[in-house]
Amino acid sequence: MNDAAAMWFRGLVFVIGMGAADAALALPDRLPDNLVWVSNDDDPEFAAPEAKRGGTFRTSMSSFPLTLRRVGPDSNGSFAGYLRHNQLSLVAWHPVTRRPIPSLASHWAFDPDGKTVYYRIDADARWSDGVPVTSADFEFTRDFMRSKHIVAPFYNDNYTTQIVDIRGYGDNIVGVEGASPRPPEELMYEYGPSVVPKHFHELDENWVSRYNWKVEPNTGPYQISEVRKGKFIELKRDPNWWANDRKYYRNRFNPDKIRIKVVRDYNIEFQHFLRGDTDTFGLVMPQFWHEKAKGPQFDNGYIGRYWFYNNLPQPAAGMFLNEDDPILQDRNVRIALAHAMNFDRVINTVLRGDYARMQTFNEGFGDYDNASIHARPFDLVKAREYLEASGWRNRGPDGILVKDGQRLSLRVTYGSPYHTDRLVILREEAKKAGIELDLSLLDSASAFKQMQEKKHQIAWMTWASQGLSPEYWQFFHSVNAHVAQTNNLMNHADPAMDKLIDEYRASTSTRMRVELAHRLEQMVFDSGSVIPSFKVPYTREAAWAWVKLPAWLGSRTTDALFDPLEMSAGVYSAGGLFWIDVEEKRRIRAAMAAGETFAPILKIDETHRRRDLE
Amino acid sequence: MTLSPLAHKQWQRFRSIKRGYYSALLLVVLLAMSCGAELLVNNRAVLVSYHGTLFFPTYGHFLPGTTFGLDYDYETNYRELAVRLAAGGEDGWVLLPPVPYSAFENDLRESEYPPYPPSFSSRHYLGTDTTGRDVLARLVFGFRIAMTFSLVLLACNYLIGIAVGCAMGFWGGAFDLLFQRVIEVWSNVPFLYVIMIIASIMVPTFWTLTFVMVLFGWMSMTWYMRTSTYKEKTRDYVLAARALGASSPRIIARHILPNTVSVIVTFIPFSIAGGITALTALDYLGFGLPPPTPSWGDLLSQGTDNLDYPWIVTSVVTAMIVVLLMVTYIGEAIREAYDPKRFTYYE
Repeated sequence: MNDAAAMWFRGLVFVIGMGAADAALALPDRLPDNLVWVSNDDDPEFAAPEAKRGGTFRTSMSSFPLTLRRVGPDSNGSFAGYLRHNQLSLVAWHPVTRRPIPSLASHWAFDPDGKTVYYRIDADARWSDGVPVTSADFEFTRDFMRSKHIVAPFYNDNYTTQIVDIRGYGDNIVGVEGASPRPPEELMYEYGPSVVPKHFHELDENWVSRYNWKVEPNTGPYQISEVRKGKFIELKRDPNWWANDRKYYRNRFNPDKIRIKVVRDYNIEFQHFLRGDTDTFGLVMPQFWHEKAKGPQFDNGYIGRYWFYNNLPQPAAGMFLNEDDPILQDRNVRIALAHAMNFDRVINTVLRGDYARMQTFNEGFGDYDNASIHARPFDLVKAREYLEASGWRNRGPDGILVKDGQRLSLRVTYGSPYHTDRLVILREEAKKAGIELDLSLLDSASAFKQMQEKKHQIAWMTWASQGLSPEYWQFFHSVNAHVAQTNNLMNHADPAMDKLIDEYRASTSTRMRVELAHRLEQMVFDSGSVIPSFKVPYTREAAWAWVKLPAWLGSRTTDALFDPLEMSAGVYSAGGLFWIDVEEKRRIRAAMAAGETFAPILKIDETHRRRDLE
Repeated sequence: MTLSPLAHKQWQRFRSIKRGYYSALLLVVLLAMSCGAELLVNNRAVLVSYHGTLFFPTYGHFLPGTTFGLDYDYETNYRELAVRLAAGGEDGWVLLPPVPYSAFENDLRESEYPPYPPSFSSRHYLGTDTTGRDVLARLVFGFRIAMTFSLVLLACNYLIGIAVGCAMGFWGGAFDLLFQRVIEVWSNVPFLYVIMIIASIMVPTFWTLTFVMVLFGWMSMTWYMRTSTYKEKTRDYVLAARALGASSPRIIARHILPNTVSVIVTFIPFSIAGGITALTALDYLGFGLPPPTPSWGDLLSQGTDNLDYPWIVTSVVTAMIVVLLMVTYIGEAIREAYDPKRFTYYE
């Protein structure tokens, strides 16, 4: 009994303590006086002025969503993108210049504390039901996202520990405070809240079930107009959308309707597309591009094929060598290993020449890329030189190098059975250099656990890379070396590098950060602890000829050409550029019936191909 | 060696069942050949004559390219060497195995993407898999591994199963009761889950896989041995042996076991088939031997994923059907040979 009371008491103190901490972190009651309000109206437009409004864009999804909520249980399915990207954020990111551009907010200002941004909400911003968007919606968002009723622990945590406070000043100004100081643009990106309509939600313990199939008002161009459960969902364009004539939104989001049909199988989806029941189809997968996307519809010019190189942050894929390992602690061995990996052979055979070699650890961040670095090529002579320098001279009976009775055999830990094809080729080629790769395929969770516990020799994996600029601290700082559960898989610890990383994190000048990133990337290369592997720096898609694109197809950060919304997966506001030419559609249908043909359409756009990074 | 009259009769009976007998012959030949598979299927040459010296590269240390005047110090590519020496200019010749590829080697071409179809000119008689490895080579070495696995598994399972089963039947009572319960409980442990858990936290090797399979595989034999020991124990000859003063181990080993041999022998072929399918299934599901070990399950999963390249799946499915059919025919023939009722037919 006493114990329980003590627990309760301690709990109370904890709650009070939390309250006190909140008060210390909270935003000021009054808006600071000396704020400098900025906006961005200077960047170029990127949509085609000749785009025509109208028509229906028909596409598919692999399963019907289990809810129309944006948060809470089952809300992370494939349809979630249509809901999330139909809600504008405070600022968007220009797909060419990569700078912030006005979206829901027309202006923004930075607090000198380096953690807080104030936004002025566009006076015209409206929910789809006509209600103005105000700072009260943002304050409500904060409480909503922290509420237990939404059953979303990630958001509960994110809006408490990352976004520390959101507060309105009058109807139109909202302040957002992040957990720690960041450079200005990073601040807006990392601590950018979404917004929830206050007038629509009534939060209580039944919220999850009550709002499961309710259509929430939104700030984007489309609104759900029809839901046929298990069959399709239709979205309708609001002709009087409040942002219709905003500089970065005009001539975009052109189809009047988007109809998303459920087609459960990828091959069947392709058949639907060939019949003309859907308008576009993704062809990134080699067998589709090379083998299946053939036939009369393609030869007669009814369906066009597009191969568009982009320049986006690439997932950091490669081999991460554990510097604590007795063999791999020798830099010569690490560099020899890099020279013994025949990635080109893998690319030109099992990967059908479709992938490219990743050159550096971080890639695709625009100015941050250090294009002077090139991954070490397959070179047996160099591999032998480096190995001999470290005393690996003699080959054992099986052709593998031996030093002091130890074989040069290294374990590669990986978690995806689909990568075995690539690794067996690397393994056979590495034998030529006298190195044996011992392939250790584990279940992906166990593989990652082994790597996080630093029990691997070589980790073969890919880091999902997102954000505006490269990350170094979590991967290379010495505070993350030699301890479990961190992402410094190399156990890399270098005081000189630590110093630069700290400077890079603290710097608020983009020019400075770019320069530091170049130096850091060089240090990563020099350490030899990362052997970059592959990247896919393009998108490949097919579309019926009545789906039109601007002459420039897309911008350098376009990750999907036929994306009907602002963005699909990326950061940048690059989507919604295409349009449906209704008259052309009638003409092509008639031509098909009459057996008329056109010239085949195959557009390969290499404008944004970074040959310097290949 | 002289056979007892009964064994001789059983052997005659077995030989008279043609398809079982020939299956057995064929399987023994295949097994024997697979023991020396390195001489038949290998990227190392069987015999090289170079400047008057003879080399036998198959077994033993690797020979670097420099041995034959080539400019690299890794393992010699004997197929290229054969072409070079055949072109003349240098004194020597190379005798390659009928299938000049190893089970691990990726034979990749510059302008074509694997898998490559079967071709006599490239000596990929059954084509290659998705990374350019010879399907026939992987079938042969996969067969050897599967058979070895199956035989080792059989030996361990039967050793434990027969020992425990005999003891249960012979001593009976509390011992029997206790072991019955132990076995019942143990057989309810979901063995596939155990394998999956093990495969997800460590890379299973040949011996760990065998160990786990034995751990959960020895029980089935105990039931049969227990009942036949119970039956034999009450026979007069056992009583007679005991009256003469024979010890329990002697009675079990010399009297009971030889009389239960028909039970054991008839189960053997089916256990072998079970072992092969178990390993193939585990490999197919990805919980078996680690890549790049050649295995039928791996080929099967590659084949079903790439039905557009039918030679992979056809080869391995045909091989499996043939081997399992042979084992079944042998099993049938043995069962009939040991059947005391002369005129029973399995049709």
